[in-house]
Amino acid sequence: MSGGARIPLSSIAACFEGVIPAVIATAASDGTPNITHLTRVHMVDDERVALSNQFFSKTMRNLAENPNASVLLVDPFEFSEYRLTLRYERTERSGPLFDVLHRDVEAVAALTGMQGVFKLRSADVYRVIQIDDVTPA
Amino acid sequence: MIEGGVATLLRSPCSLIVGTVDASGVPSATRAFGLQILENGSRLRLLLTSTGCPAVDNLRATGAIAVTGTDVHTLDSVQVKGRADVVEPATDADEPLFAQYTDQFFAKISASDGVPRDVVERLRPHSYIAVEMTVEALFDQTPGPRAGRALSSADS
Repeated sequence: MSGGARIPLSSIAACFEGVIPAVIATAASDGTPNITHLTRVHMVDDERVALSNQFFSKTMRNLAENPNASVLLVDPFEFSEYRLTLRYERTERSGPLFDVLHRDVEAVAALTGMQGVFKLRSADVYRVIQIDDVTPA
Repeated sequence: MIEGGVATLLRSPCSLIVGTVDASGVPSATRAFGLQILENGSRLRLLLTSTGCPAVDNLRATGAIAVTGTDVHTLDSVQVKGRADVVEPATDADEPLFAQYTDQFFAKISASDGVPRDVVERLRPHSYIAVEMTVEALFDQTPGPRAGRALSSADS
């Protein structure tokens, strides 16, 4: 668990390589949670990440009601794990950020045989509220 | 009701991810390390990490829970939503399930990702608790156009 100084996003850069699928939890306004995997998390700057949105119908409906999200990331080399507490800010359906995520999702699709299935619909930008190291070991 | 192919998936050494919510609506993501199907598919018993995880407090506060099981090779996925009404210390009877799940799941990850087993083992929780939930809804979470579609018993 983090305590004291915040873990910098740049220190967990390996988690953004897309090797191990990330996890996102959201919740509807009635308190019903939703939990699913996502293909890519991209570091936008020191305070923001962008998440690939391919099939997020329920996730996006939840975020329209409740902007809070929780994401799990695993470092593919060390298998350390981090939980990010996020707040949804905006969606981009074109532009440089979208193009970067589109390229990354296409790369993962090619590696996993998911071409034609993994189609980026948008890049959803979130502010990082907190980062916790939740690695058991 | 969990049965057929859905039950087969959830009983397999699949990735198990869990979503919970606190009383103010803030969600939290975590992982489960074992799943049992109870009462002819109307309830589940899950083993969750118990250290440094808001999930336990969330479940005691709201009971709302979502669990998604994913085959790490095929990406076939199903999401179960419901209400947790038991949050208790794990018992000796849970240990074989925990041991079998972690052994098989970690072996699968190590083999598919080429990561040494001792590295994957870093995800093994030091302690865990047991949660039981009623099954209220099932959804197809397999990547693709059907993701999010509600499932019925006929779909199993």
